[in-house]
Order: sequence, then C-alpha cells, then structure tokens
Amino acid sequence: MAGASDNDPVDVLIIGAGASGAAVAWSLAETRMRIVCFEQGDWTNPSEYPSTRKDWESQQFGPYHINPNVRGLETDYPINNDESPINVVNFNGVGGGTILYAAHFPRLHPSDFRVKTLDGVADDWPINYERLEPYFSKNDRMMGVSGLAGDPMYPPKQPPLPPIPLGLVGETIARGYNKLGWHWWPSDSAIITRPYEGRDQCLNLGPCMSGCSQGAKSSVDITYWPEALRSGVEIRTRCRVREITLNRQGMADGVVYYDEEGTERHQKAEVVVMACNGVGTPRILLNSESAQFPDGLANRSGLVGKNLMFHPVGFVQGIFEERLDSHKGPAGCCILSKEFYETDRSRGFVRGYNMQITRGTGPLATALQGYTSGTIPWGPEHHEAFQKRFDHVASIGILCEDLPEEHNTVTLDPNLVDSDGIPAPKINYRLSENSEKMLAHGLARAEDVMEAAGATEISSSGVLEDAGWHLLGTARMGDDPKTSVVNSWGRSHDVKNLFIVDGSIFVTAGGLNPTSTIQALALYIADTMKKNLANLFD
Amino acid sequence: MTNDVIATDHPLTTSQQETLAALLDTLLPASDDGTMPSAQAVDLIGYLTEKNAEFIPVLVEAIGHFDDGFAGLSLSDRYPVVEAFSKAQAELFDELLFHTYDCYYQDDRVLEGIGMAAGPPFPTGNTIEAGDLSLLDPVMQTSRTYRKYDQ
Ligand SMILES: Cc1cc2nc3c(=O)[nH]c(=O)nc-3n(C[C@H](O)[C@H](O)[C@H](O)COP(=O)(O)OP(=O)(O)OC[C@H]3O[C@@H](n4cnc5c(N)ncnc54)[C@H](O)[C@@H]3O)c2cc1C
Repeated sequence: MAGASDNDPVDVLIIGAGASGAAVAWSLAETRMRIVCFEQGDWTNPSEYPSTRKDWESQQFGPYHINPNVRGLETDYPINNDESPINVVNFNGVGGGTILYAAHFPRLHPSDFRVKTLDGVADDWPINYERLEPYFSKNDRMMGVSGLAGDPMYPPKQPPLPPIPLGLVGETIARGYNKLGWHWWPSDSAIITRPYEGRDQCLNLGPCMSGCSQGAKSSVDITYWPEALRSGVEIRTRCRVREITLNRQGMADGVVYYDEEGTERHQKAEVVVMACNGVGTPRILLNSESAQFPDGLANRSGLVGKNLMFHPVGFVQGIFEERLDSHKGPAGCCILSKEFYETDRSRGFVRGYNMQITRGTGPLATALQGYTSGTIPWGPEHHEAFQKRFDHVASIGILCEDLPEEHNTVTLDPNLVDSDGIPAPKINYRLSENSEKMLAHGLARAEDVMEAAGATEISSSGVLEDAGWHLLGTARMGDDPKTSVVNSWGRSHDVKNLFIVDGSIFVTAGGLNPTSTIQALALYIADTMKKNLANLFD
Repeated sequence: MTNDVIATDHPLTTSQQETLAALLDTLLPASDDGTMPSAQAVDLIGYLTEKNAEFIPVLVEAIGHFDDGFAGLSLSDRYPVVEAFSKAQAELFDELLFHTYDCYYQDDRVLEGIGMAAGPPFPTGNTIEAGDLSLLDPVMQTSRTYRKYDQ
C-alpha cells in the first residue's frame, strides 16, 4: 500500500522486482494487504535504451552488457565465476532479467515434471503441468505472448496474439527442417505483434537484448508492475537486502537492508517472499546466518545454493548466398525445434535439448566477430567479406537440459563483496558428461539443418561463456524437507512465513528458456497463498 | 579527414592527423564501387571526443608507431606496415580497430551502403515478411506428439 513508511511493518515484503516478483505482487495485490517490494536497482526508461541511439551496438559492450561484472553498475553486485565455464548474466532493476531478455517464451513440457518417473534421473516435481496450466495461460495474457496454436509437441494452448514473423531467416531454416522431416514451430514470444493492453506492437527493431524502446517486448516493468502499483503495491528501488531476520519463534520478521545512501535499515514484515533469482536468493539466504540457522536461513536440508542449473548453450551459424535480412526482427525469437527434446538413450545421453533459431547480429558485432574468427579481414577485402555475411546469416542455439548435481553451487565468496559490503556469490559449476554429449549431439544436428537449408558455410561454437541466462534449482521444491528447501507451493519447510517464487525452486530445468514457467509458478504460489490466508503458517 | 573541430582545439597535430587519416584509410578503404566510404571520411576524432575521450591518448600512442612518411605511401604499401603493427602491438591494434569499426558502422552513409536504414533502429523499425505458414503442413501431418505419461 502506498504510504507505508520505512518503519511501518508491512504484511508482505517481496525482495526482487523481476519476472517472478512482479507476478506474485500483482496476484497478491487483490488481498489488499500492505505489500512492498524491495528492489536493489532502478526503474529503466525505455526512451533511453540503446536502440534510440546510433551507438546502440557498442552500448552492449558497456552499460548494457549482459554480464554484471562487465557492466559494473552501482546497482549490480559482482559474481565470482572463476570456477565455472559459464558466467552468470542478469539485470538488476525493476523488471529484473526481463529488461534484457530475448523474450523467447516456451513453457516446460508435461514430461519435464516427471523426469525421475520417465527417465530414472534427477527428481519428479511435486506438481505437474496440469496444475500449472491455468497459470501459464493467465501469465501469457498478462505478459502479452505471441505464438501459434497447434504445436503437436504441447497439449493444446492458445497464445493471445499471432506469431512473430518468420522472416526470411525463419522460412529458410524451416525448409531445412522440412527436408529432414524434423519438428519445428514458430516460437512463443513475449513480444506483442499487435497493439495490446495499451502497448504498441513490435517494430522489428532487432536489438531486443538491450531493452525494447518500443515497449513491445513484454518486460514486467511495463506488464505486471503498472497494474500491481495501481492496485496499491509499492516498490522501493535502491533497497538492497542483506539478510532476513528471525524472531524468537523462528519466524521471519523482516530484513536488514541498505537504502540509496548506503544506510543500514530494518524493515519489519509478516511474510517475506524471495524473488531474487537462482543466484540472488541463495546468496541472501546463506548470508542470513543465525543461531537457529547456522548454515543459512531455511537451510536445514543443506540444499540452499546446491543443484545450480544453467542451460549449457552452443550455437551453429550458417552463411547463405541469398540475403536473409538477418538484422531485422526480434533477435532471439523466430522458430524452434523440439525434435531432440525427449530422451532417446541410443543417442548416448539422457533428456534433450531445444533448438532455438535466432536471427543475425548488427553490423558492428558482425565486423568484430568476423575479425576474431578471421572471416572478415580489415583492409581492402573488408567490404566484400562483410557483405557476404552481414544479413546472410542464421543461427541455431542448442539449449541443453542441465540435470541437478549437488556439486554445482552458489556459495558466498570469502573475499568479494558488493558496494554495500554484502558477500558476493561464488559459482562452482562443471558441465556433466551427459551435458557435454548432449551439446555435441545438438551442434551436429544443427549443422545438419544448416546444410539441408542450403548454408554455404557452417561454423559451431559452444559451450558459450556469457550464457548463464537461466538460474535454476538452488532452493528446490519438494514434499520432503530433507531433500528440498520449499514445499510444493513455495513455502520454506523450515520457516513458515518465508516463500520463494523465483527460478531457485525448479526441481529440474527442462531444456528450454524458463521465464514462462517461473512466472506461472509465481502465480500458482500466490494463488495458493490466497487460498490459505487463514492458516498460511500451519 | 573531414573534421569540424576548430584546428587549434584539435587533440592531434597536423602530422598526427595525416597519419591517422592514412591509417584509417588502410583499415577500411572506400569500396571500389564507391558505395562504402573510407574510414577516414567518418569523424573518428569528433566521435571519440564526445563518447570516448579517454581513448584519445591511446590513439595518439598508436599513431606514434608510424613514421612521418607513412601518410605519403600508397594503400598497397601502407597495408604491410599496418599488418606488422597489428602483430607487434596486438592489444593496441585491437582497441583501435574496435573504435574505428564502432564509429564507422554508425555512420549514415555506411548504414545505407550495407542496406540498413540510416539512424538508430528506433523509431524507424523494419518490415519483415510474416512468412509462409503452410510450411508447417509437413509438421502437422506427422503423428508426432508430446510425450504423454500416466498421471
Ligand atoms: C540477456 C538475457 C537474455 C535472456 N533471455 C531469455 C529468454 O529469451 N527467455 C527466457 O525465458 N528467459 C530469458 N532470460 C532469463 C530471464 O531473464 C530470467 O529467467 C528471469 O528474469 C528470472 O526471473 P526471476 O524473477 O527469477 O529473477 P530476475 O528477473 O533476475 O529478478 C531478480 C531481481 O531481484 C533483485 N535482487 C537481487 N538481489 C537483491 C537484493 N539482495 N535486494 C534487493 N533486490 C535484489 C535484482 O536486482 C533483480 O531485479 C534471459 C536473461 C538475460 C540476462
């Protein structure tokens, strides 16, 4: 509720204003409780996003870099990635990762919730696709999702808006898939292709991953948040939470945080909801040590920060003789293929991957990439080589399902701290043999597609370093308090007024982009909280 | 090199300017058909002054690696000199190339030359084909379905 001052206790304190924090805030708003969200970053202004500037591409090497260690804004926190082949990437501000995300918006499949039963690996989720289905649909409507009904790889679903244009890239690669007789489908995309809820449609600008100036990409600062604020939720920016505090009964009673001036403050709350993502949430829980929780809050299972899952990613690039207008249209959203999504043990690995067809890069990235790969020289031959590649390119990203492994962790770095002195997260992660085999398989199959589509030159790369986009599994859900951190509706087993709604609670990662599922889970948890308000802590 | 900065305020001496112009023209000469301008025709110094002034002393250092005669050489004679520099001073060269490309590929003449609209992407935007969705017919004709299981 607007007007609750710093010292007034609030009913619900949400930490993090990203994809999940926004969804849970919006859903809980109808309870008329006093709900405040603390966000360490700022609001962003779409009229200042790089695509409004001529130097839009080089902005992505600086203030709009996806890696917070390179971006280095005051509102970022450093992350020690030294022990990981994959760097965590994120955005810290209202909207969280959705400010920079590509908005590729597939859902987990029904089978993803039953990995142990079906394939004998990892664990089943305590909930299933059918339980989440109404929340997937509600989230699609709230976010504004474009797509095409009828994909045989899913139970029936109806995206509210028509699909993103295939363009020449999509058509060319689709023909390749057809030649091989493999599955493909236009991507579900959180980008509006028609005017929707007061927002204007996509202009095919291209650089979605440095913020959408048009407001067509459905980042939560322009979808959920305006509605939640109208319903009385308050966001306080530049409030960075250091730890969650407990009362004598072992219930959370608020947080210690730093305000914009760096002053330490305490905020009291009846309910605390963590929405800081799969790295930010375990970081704060581990930093909330107490006599009752010497290993970090809500960590009697010992699993807070463990089982970190990214999606190991590789790319195959094809160069085509004909012009594909590759720089036009949403960079990360075009078509996808689920041909190798499910387990086939004859491939030598278990589970599978999504193939995400992406468009090309801008001219600066093309020239620089051409220089490093030796394909576009500087000097008299530059222009000819450049023209052969720029706008003649299509890529296939291989997004592998990462299985939960306890040795892949987020811990607190003993030395590195953020600007408020809070310990930074340290990532320890290694690619499993299963993931390595899967990635190699995916790259080889993507090369087959490129060949079938008529590419004249094909190159592969992976595992991609700055590709820790998806941060999952570090406070998993489950029915057994010994093997999970939260229950089947996001409530901590150990602290009954502490909830987690972000990607940390994933049991397994699926082989696709997670935000649609993260938000469906957040809506489901909020709904379950509303249904149980009278006995929320029983 | 075209430059609208008053000469006395220019961060480079006249001879440094001549060397820079020759260096840029070696990195990205004009295309034979005249569509693509030479990098010496885009205002690198103006751009750096506005956006990346801290690179100017580094640029001066880079220029210092070329002797006075460099600017008078033909393109084909300049090329091996720059190539040798790119190997001997790889880091410095990479920085120079980054800023040159960055400035070059925002110039309206260059953008139009490569088939893009002049100016920033927003608000002009682009039109792309919706695409032929009948390409999906073969996908729909298979018996393929999502993986089902007993609840
Ligand atoms: C470049 C990029 C591309 C991506 N592309 C896609 C895509 O195409 N499809 C897809 O599904 N996903 C994509 N993602 C991932 C997507 O952004 C995330 O899955 C999603 O945002 C996660 O939601 P979340 O709520 O878990 O956390 P986030 O959205 O990351 O939000 C967490 C918020 O918590 C705040 N916070 C953290 N710690 C504190 C603290 N101590 N105090 C106060 N505030 C705090 C952060 O500032 C942040 O705003 C992409 C991400 C990036 C970076």
